[in-house]
Amino acid sequence: MVMILLSIVFVVMRVLPGNPVLLRFEKTADPALVASFTHQLGLDKPVYVQYFEYLWQLLHGSFGLSMAGSFEPVGPQILSRFPATLELTIYAFIVAAIVGVLLGTFGAQRPGVADNSVKIFGVLIFAFPVFFLGMIFQLVFGIWLHLLPVSGRLSPGVTPTSFSLGTFHFETGILTLDSILSGNLTEFIDAVRHLVMPATALGLVISGFFVRMTRANMLETIRSDFVTAARARGLKERTIVYSYALRNALLPIITIMGLQFARLLAGAILTETEFNLLGVGSYLVDRITFLDYTAVQGTVVFLALLISSVGLIVDILYAYLDPRVRL
Amino acid sequence: MKTLQKTREKPQTVSVMAKLVSPLFGKGYGRALMLVGLGMTLFITVMSVLAPVISPYDPTQIGLGPPNDPPSAQFPMGTDQYGRDMLSRIIWGGRFILLVAVTAVVICLTIGLPIGLASAYAGGNVDRALALVMDSMYAFPGLVLAIMLISVFGVSIINDALAIAVVFIPSYFRVVRSQVLSIKEMPYVDAGKSAGAGTPAVLLRYIWPNVISSVIVIATVNFADSILTTAGLDFIGLGLQVNLPDWGIDLTYGRQALPLGVWWTIVFSGSMILMAALGFSLISEGYAERTNPKLR
Repeated sequence: MVMILLSIVFVVMRVLPGNPVLLRFEKTADPALVASFTHQLGLDKPVYVQYFEYLWQLLHGSFGLSMAGSFEPVGPQILSRFPATLELTIYAFIVAAIVGVLLGTFGAQRPGVADNSVKIFGVLIFAFPVFFLGMIFQLVFGIWLHLLPVSGRLSPGVTPTSFSLGTFHFETGILTLDSILSGNLTEFIDAVRHLVMPATALGLVISGFFVRMTRANMLETIRSDFVTAARARGLKERTIVYSYALRNALLPIITIMGLQFARLLAGAILTETEFNLLGVGSYLVDRITFLDYTAVQGTVVFLALLISSVGLIVDILYAYLDPRVRL
Repeated sequence: MKTLQKTREKPQTVSVMAKLVSPLFGKGYGRALMLVGLGMTLFITVMSVLAPVISPYDPTQIGLGPPNDPPSAQFPMGTDQYGRDMLSRIIWGGRFILLVAVTAVVICLTIGLPIGLASAYAGGNVDRALALVMDSMYAFPGLVLAIMLISVFGVSIINDALAIAVVFIPSYFRVVRSQVLSIKEMPYVDAGKSAGAGTPAVLLRYIWPNVISSVIVIATVNFADSILTTAGLDFIGLGLQVNLPDWGIDLTYGRQALPLGVWWTIVFSGSMILMAALGFSLISEGYAERTNPKLR
């Protein structure tokens, strides 16, 4: 699966007619300059050589060479941006899961107006461009109410701290984690304040899908025999819903989480740009602005690998949680 | 025999039309959603088509009013940072985004559908290989795939539409394929075959009418997603020309004036994108609700 995805990316990048080097320059550019660029990037070799070189570069974590400046490998640059993306997606995911499960359960329990409003919320939030929601947040909470900082990961003057374990100094780059581990409370509060708006905007947009899935699964589970049996035994409705039905309704949601991770990343690209968080997504957008298309493609490959690995983890997790899959 | 064939054909065509239109009649939540959605999309379409007639000013005219002027009687939606009239820009701004969406959906329908139908009906190794490729593409975020394609081919309306179409073909393929796989095993399909129906007849007359509802659902979702993806591409700098009146571009550049408290540029352009995407989503949601009783 991963190989197929990587190969598709390769075919699109190198085999189809279309040339990132030509896109970078005006049509009137000196052909010698274009040729030297093409040569430096190794794009003038035969396609099959390029394919193996590309896989070789991936194995070494290089993800291709940047067209800007001195043809540096893209990989390390992406990795330095990754913690911010990870932090944003984790918190957004938590927001999405909480909103989704709560609203979904709520809707499934109360057919009628409440249920219909939950459904409409699901459709509405699904249609929201995440950066538009982010802008509204910035406008209301940042600019009008002055409650939260509008952009960045930390306020100027607050420096990220590393934490020590014995003689080693660690820095995960995930600011909320680093600051807690090193006991730097000011940094923690500052980092959280910067994260609230982007994580909520992204989380809310993703939550639409969670709401729908939780609701559908809940409805199905509530109708199943074991719930009827629990009712017949005279258990309280609340116990039935939260400890019997919800637990079973959540299982399929884990699979969906795997699929939604892709949408979460796409949303993270836009959210990071909107809130000026220096993550992989805003790196991608930066490179687009500099017309550095080889770096753009390297980042795309990185995201492809990331999505495939998350998919694999979700599959394993699912097999662990649901014994039926292992049979 | 001849009369038999005729009686069999007639209800068939009726039922396909009925599938398209019938969810609009009767009562209920699904119908209300569909009507609201249709209303929104109709409003936006009419507005975009009539833009040259109804727009009060030239949307690209710089310095019509003072820059960043709040909504007033003269400029009901205010002006942007170049003093252009926002109302005119909003009226004109749907043209490209909708054009890209329509083109993308048409490309998807003409490529994704036949491949899905044929692949599932024929089965075998080709089908399995295609499904694998489509599944890997499906797992990939649409926006990122579109970014990659545009980074190779450059920005233009047709490239935008193609990139978005490539992103969505797998979902058409998957939906059509899974439906056909189950329908082709139905006894009535066997009955048709034994009555002498050839492959084209089986596909068109027996299988297609049962796939069409899911195709409508997926195409409307696709519309909404194309609009959001195009706006996303505008936002990250892969949009069309900067001076075109376009909701996505106005939203992107409008945020530069956000710290000054200029809310009208982003709120109006953003709401239009939201309304367009929401309109199509509502149609899809309502239609699914009406045609698939399991959702109720």
